[in-house]
Amino acid sequence: MSGTVIHIGAAPAPFAGTALYLDGQTAGLRPAQLRIDEGAGVLVIRATGMTPPRWPLADVRAIPDQADPRRMVLAVTDDPVARLLVEDDETLRLLRARCPNLHRRPKPRGLWRLFLWALAALGAVALIVFLLVPLLANRLAEFLPPEGERALGEATLDQVRHAMDTTGIAPLPLCETGAGQAALAAMTDRLLARADLPYPLQVQVLDHPLINAFALPGGQVVLFRGLIEAAEHPDEIAGVLAHEIGHVAHRDPTRIALRSAGSVGVLGLLFGDFAGGAAVLFLTERLISATYTREAEAGADDYALSLLAEASIDPGALGVFFERLRRDNGETPGVLAHFMDHPATLDRIEKAANAPRPDALRPALDAAQWQALRGICGASPPPG
Amino acid sequence: MTDGPAGTGDVECVGRRWPLFRLALAASVLTILTLGVYRFWMKSRLRRYYWSSFRVAGSPVEYVGEPLEKLLGFLIAVVFLAFYLGIVNLVLVFASFSLFQTNGVAYLLSFLGVVPLWFYAAYRARRYVLARTRWLGIRFGLAPGAAGYAWRAVGHWLAVILTLGLAWPRMTFWLEKYRTDRTTFGTLTLHQGGNVAMLYQVFVHLMIGVIFSALTIAIALANDNERFLWLLIVFLPWAVYGLVHYRVHAFRRLTDAKSAGGLSLVSRARVVRVARIWLLGGSLALVLPFVVMSLAAYVVISGATTDGAYPSEALRVLLGDVLPGWAIVALGVVLYFGVFVTFGVLRHVFITLPLWRHYGETLTLVGTSTLPRVAQQGRDAFEEAEGIAEALDVGAAI
Repeated sequence: MSGTVIHIGAAPAPFAGTALYLDGQTAGLRPAQLRIDEGAGVLVIRATGMTPPRWPLADVRAIPDQADPRRMVLAVTDDPVARLLVEDDETLRLLRARCPNLHRRPKPRGLWRLFLWALAALGAVALIVFLLVPLLANRLAEFLPPEGERALGEATLDQVRHAMDTTGIAPLPLCETGAGQAALAAMTDRLLARADLPYPLQVQVLDHPLINAFALPGGQVVLFRGLIEAAEHPDEIAGVLAHEIGHVAHRDPTRIALRSAGSVGVLGLLFGDFAGGAAVLFLTERLISATYTREAEAGADDYALSLLAEASIDPGALGVFFERLRRDNGETPGVLAHFMDHPATLDRIEKAANAPRPDALRPALDAAQWQALRGICGASPPPG
Repeated sequence: MTDGPAGTGDVECVGRRWPLFRLALAASVLTILTLGVYRFWMKSRLRRYYWSSFRVAGSPVEYVGEPLEKLLGFLIAVVFLAFYLGIVNLVLVFASFSLFQTNGVAYLLSFLGVVPLWFYAAYRARRYVLARTRWLGIRFGLAPGAAGYAWRAVGHWLAVILTLGLAWPRMTFWLEKYRTDRTTFGTLTLHQGGNVAMLYQVFVHLMIGVIFSALTIAIALANDNERFLWLLIVFLPWAVYGLVHYRVHAFRRLTDAKSAGGLSLVSRARVVRVARIWLLGGSLALVLPFVVMSLAAYVVISGATTDGAYPSEALRVLLGDVLPGWAIVALGVVLYFGVFVTFGVLRHVFITLPLWRHYGETLTLVGTSTLPRVAQQGRDAFEEAEGIAEALDVGAAI
């Protein structure tokens, strides 16, 4: 850049240029003559009717992102309003050569304040998402009337079915083969023989290969086709179902759904427009592979154990199922994942399996019913 | 106007598509890479470009808003709005499901609760933008009055809804007057003259188009006779033309009736030109992202339908031998955001800039000989900047 200025003898070539000056005090565009005071390294701006402002060359800045490539707007760091509009090509060339910090960005000010407000914003969001909303959701979940819970569950199931659909045409289909539904109903009835739920339980199967199951508010339990296909014995499905019924009985899904209603808005707020839809998807995903608290999982397992014991179904099948999936897949699918973090629960289940009279146990479904359940999605059941 | 102060200043627009395209593209990509944080820089830079593209009477307009102050304003707004959005939404969803067994009521109430806030935010955002706009080195400004604006806007909208749209020009005029009469340029205060009647005169085409379309449909429905519906071929385009006609001519009449000291404005914006920009620019800005989206959708669906799995799983099956998993996920994310970026950037290039240029180049400033009497006004610090509007996504052109 500075190579364009040719130095002859001891002193640089005398600088002279023209520009328009805005003093930032009155709305007038003043034609100005530019000189450089070489001794002081200062740009002197001469215009009629004012004492010439002196801009140190090192403090002259070009305003960035200007639409006009042939002109330049200059400012000086210690005056927020004064401007120099340079249009003359020769002056532009000389100024570019003589002002060393023309394109240096101003040092940001108020970073400390910004940092404090950033902390405050993070704190407020954390306080709301992790403390206030869960607290309020937990309290409100107990006051939500059963009809309200049912409606919330149905709305959520719709959301899940649309979110998991990849064709973009219709929501993910439910499996509704008559015999299969009858088998599922038989299993549910047997588990619920002595249970006391605030609303009738509705168990459905989603036609999707995921090995998972989840509970929704208002007594809805959803199993995935993949789960049924992965199971080798009806007791394994019964164990998963009993666990989900445990969540329903403790109203865990209602808490999660209310919590996400509060969190969606806050997260959307943080990430701005383009991620608004992504935040909803994220929370739907969270609902499917619902991350309940350790207490909630333990509570659901306790409830499941008592249901299975009442129904004379082997509780140990759940542990066998879990071990096999881990061995075959290398990872554990959603519904059984909590065993991974809390192996103590699994020990407890195995103890329970060994404790009562094993001779009194009956399979959750007979062979014909089990075949029907495996074919609930219409396709021919896979071998095994 | 012949006896007004002398001197006119034209508006020259020096903004060009290619540099704007590069600026908008680079800024959009950075915004995505920084998970949205760069959007404060993007807004500042784009505004600097758009503002500086106007040279009014030989002097460029300057935008001096800083990205960091926008970020600060956003953080301030988040602290307050997070409580509102988190707690109020939760309580509304609860109340809606316990009392009405649906979440529709919650959405409605939540929406209605945000509407006044939305207008409040729009006014405050305008105050910030004007306070950071300068011409001839002199600051613009907007006097405080967001609450007054919010309840007036809500009232006018209610009137518009209750009169099935007939009160629209009334709303246009009074809200514009509220904003204009509080706008300052240095020591000058703007004044919005004119009246509601002048806007009704240019509302006629829109009214005819809409009323006759509605009548056609009503008659066809009442007589169970669909033969009348061909009339819509005439009336629907008429309504669309009427909308553009109203927007352009309302702008012209409102602009011509604005004054400040000895200064006034004359706009010669043309309906045909604006309609052409929307038509051509709109189709260009929509068609190109659509091509990108179709390609992405084709890849995802062709993989997904083989086993009905997640897009990510389907893609894994499809490309699993070629690319590692993380690369495929990254590819999906890039495609997803690519559509938004393409649309946003093309909108700037084919719609916003051409409109900006047309409205600018057809504008004349009259009475420039009085300009030397205008003096500077103090800086409006306004720390909240456009935080609330940013947080609530109050749509701004730029």
